[in-house]
Amino acid sequence: MSITGKFDVVVVGAGPAGSAAAYILAKAGFKVLVVERGRGAGSKELFGGKVYAQPLRDIWPDLDKSAPIHRWVTKERFSLVVGERVLTVEYSSPRPVGFTTYLPELAKWMADKAVEAGALLIDEVRVDEIVVKDGRVIGVRSGGDLVEADVVVDAEGVNRLLLEKLGLVERLDPKHIALGVKEVLRTGKGVIEEKLGLGKDEGMAWMVAGDITAGIPGGGFIYTMKDMISIGLVLHVGKAVEAAEKGLLREHVSLLLEKFRLHPYFKRIWGEADIMEYGGHLTIEGGLGLVPKKLAINGLVVVGDAAGLLLNTGYTVRGVDFAATSGRLAAEAIIEAFNNGGPSEENLRVYEDKLKSSFVWRELVRHRGIERVMSDPLFFTKLPRLLIGVMKRLYEADYEEPTILDAFIESTSEEDISLARLLFKLGSVVGKL
Amino acid sequence: MSQETLLTRPLKIEDLLQRNIYDVDEDPHIEIPRGSEQEGLPKEALVYLCPAGCYTRIGDEILFSYEGCVECGLCRIISPPDKIRWEYPKSGRGVQYRFT
Amino acid sequence: MRIVVGIKWVPNTQAVRFDPKTGTLIRQGVPAIVNPHDFPAVELALRLRDAYGGEVIAVSMAPPPAIQGLEHVIGMGVDRAVLLTDRVFAGADTLATSYVLYHGIRRIEKEIGKVDVAVFGQETIDSSTAHIGAQVASWLGWPYVYYVKNAKLDGDRLVVTRQLEDAVEEIAVELPAVISVAMRALKPRPVTLKNKMRAKVEKPIIVWSNKDLGLDPRCVGLKGSPTIVAKVTYLPEVPRKKLVYKPKDPKDAARWILKNLFLDEKTGPLLRKVLWGDSGA
Repeated sequence: MSITGKFDVVVVGAGPAGSAAAYILAKAGFKVLVVERGRGAGSKELFGGKVYAQPLRDIWPDLDKSAPIHRWVTKERFSLVVGERVLTVEYSSPRPVGFTTYLPELAKWMADKAVEAGALLIDEVRVDEIVVKDGRVIGVRSGGDLVEADVVVDAEGVNRLLLEKLGLVERLDPKHIALGVKEVLRTGKGVIEEKLGLGKDEGMAWMVAGDITAGIPGGGFIYTMKDMISIGLVLHVGKAVEAAEKGLLREHVSLLLEKFRLHPYFKRIWGEADIMEYGGHLTIEGGLGLVPKKLAINGLVVVGDAAGLLLNTGYTVRGVDFAATSGRLAAEAIIEAFNNGGPSEENLRVYEDKLKSSFVWRELVRHRGIERVMSDPLFFTKLPRLLIGVMKRLYEADYEEPTILDAFIESTSEEDISLARLLFKLGSVVGKL
Repeated sequence: MSQETLLTRPLKIEDLLQRNIYDVDEDPHIEIPRGSEQEGLPKEALVYLCPAGCYTRIGDEILFSYEGCVECGLCRIISPPDKIRWEYPKSGRGVQYRFT
Repeated sequence: MRIVVGIKWVPNTQAVRFDPKTGTLIRQGVPAIVNPHDFPAVELALRLRDAYGGEVIAVSMAPPPAIQGLEHVIGMGVDRAVLLTDRVFAGADTLATSYVLYHGIRRIEKEIGKVDVAVFGQETIDSSTAHIGAQVASWLGWPYVYYVKNAKLDGDRLVVTRQLEDAVEEIAVELPAVISVAMRALKPRPVTLKNKMRAKVEKPIIVWSNKDLGLDPRCVGLKGSPTIVAKVTYLPEVPRKKLVYKPKDPKDAARWILKNLFLDEKTGPLLRKVLWGDSGA
């Protein structure tokens, strides 16, 4: 390979989407360059903790054998929290579909696969511009260096600096974006198994809603890694900015997370576990609000977070598998385009067709409108209070407990919502969850 | 830092950031204006929501320091575009995630 | 002009933490980096090459993962690199290290061509001895100038600007010479796409083991290191108040400092004693 020649494809970003595309293209014999801003692939990656396995197996059949899988998620929990009162639902299954991992490790594994297949990975280099000439994308520029390619795959992530410069997307609208903050806690060996009733390779994904987010729409998460636990909060950025500017949020976001770590119900699990890392990342709120109008133009395709492909339903999050799948579909479309006369806009838009007939798109459409649910105070503040109120009435009576119906009626009147309205609201969103 | 304090009170943001690995660039990759030029920035939101606590309020002004930045992009999307210059660090510098 | 620049592959000391229970270092997941104080040296070497032609060769004694660091400096524009790596080099103090680097430079002269300048950083972040430049110069028998801020050629001599505490000095030295560049003297250039591509594709890194250098194993690594670390004491963390004050004017600032430092119960007596030998009151 020479460094002066033109590449078939330049991929911007060695995350799950970029590396999936690079891997498939390189395997098909394409001359592929991947440019990554971090030091080695993975060093800038941050996510919650769980990955859906099957879509990744479709790309890397040896996933189960060689990927850095920490634990297979056999237990899912969902908790509502009001003060020190917690209502938890647990689902346990012998057939895990997802695993926990650290994204820096998994992203490095994916990038290594692309390099083994023949892609050239250049790290520590920031792409400054996607270059357009005569109405088509001709390559990328970094500082004073231009590298030409027939197709550019934009896998730059949620911060779409390049696509904005290109005029393909608007600035990110805070109402479609959530902020994730996260801590990695070192529990030591055996603690996770003992405290959460898990087997050696078994893991837990745990979503939490309630007043841990200080009234801001969002929630918390807990994921079990090998001998560490990841905990975090996700906050709706639009609403959080509003709350801060109105003076309703008077605590730093890291303090909210620290209070979650020190919550009496949860801290028993990790106890005095040391905090190994603290980080933050933007994420997509869900729905189709951030998908660019065009996912392919003349010489360019957009994949992963940059394409707005992420789903957060409140009880589960899908990002990595969507990203990798979009990378795979883009690569397949590029290969077809080359076989059909070249990467014209018309040929590359096959990627859009492929994506729109894939499970990724069906999932996003199915849960369309989830954003509105996720930012509705009824679900974030009132519903947890209502249900905790019901439980409190049922289980905290010294002599006489009410019937379940009475507990509901009392609790709804205390929270100032009518049961009928609540049922109606629930009915209207259940189809979006 | 003794284990007792880890369990008894929340850590300050500076102490949380100390757990991270950085290779700090000499040049700031983010810049905001000073003084009255800050008019229009969502100051409260920057102070309370920047996960790395890069924005501190001093009187009417906010001070910005980029060293602890985790490169999330929050300040960019909530600030008017003409009030912030935001890029990723060069040469692989900045935060170096190991776990997450 | 052929310029050799020394690179040390060091643990990112900022990232090394103590286990509060055992008092030992937690090295898990701590990445190594190019010694940050080497970057001004790389920058000066590149500027000399850009001005007078020739090539810059980075040289490092380190285990193989240091290739990542050598690729980084090639990404900045260094032409090629030599990695001196061998199990017998491990555990070296500065004497044994400079001995290997010296033979590395001699071998570069034999295999590639005459070296005009060897450039080093002022010191390293993991040991801060500032020995290596001086020791390599001694082994080579070349003149040595340190705290260098800048350099230019004047005929066949190198005119070197030194940054001293209270003065700037200009010295002309005969070549070949060894120089150490002062910390933060020059802003290093970034890694560029084309240079990093060259590092990865052309792999201009030569690896020499002790088979190539043929050094007496008693003179290298742990065996060749007379330095003894007698004791390591860890200083406890000092709780800081972390006060920030935005003064209205210099007078206001002075007043605030006076109140918070000089009249403070704890810091006041200490400061007065240090500054004026004042014993109290």
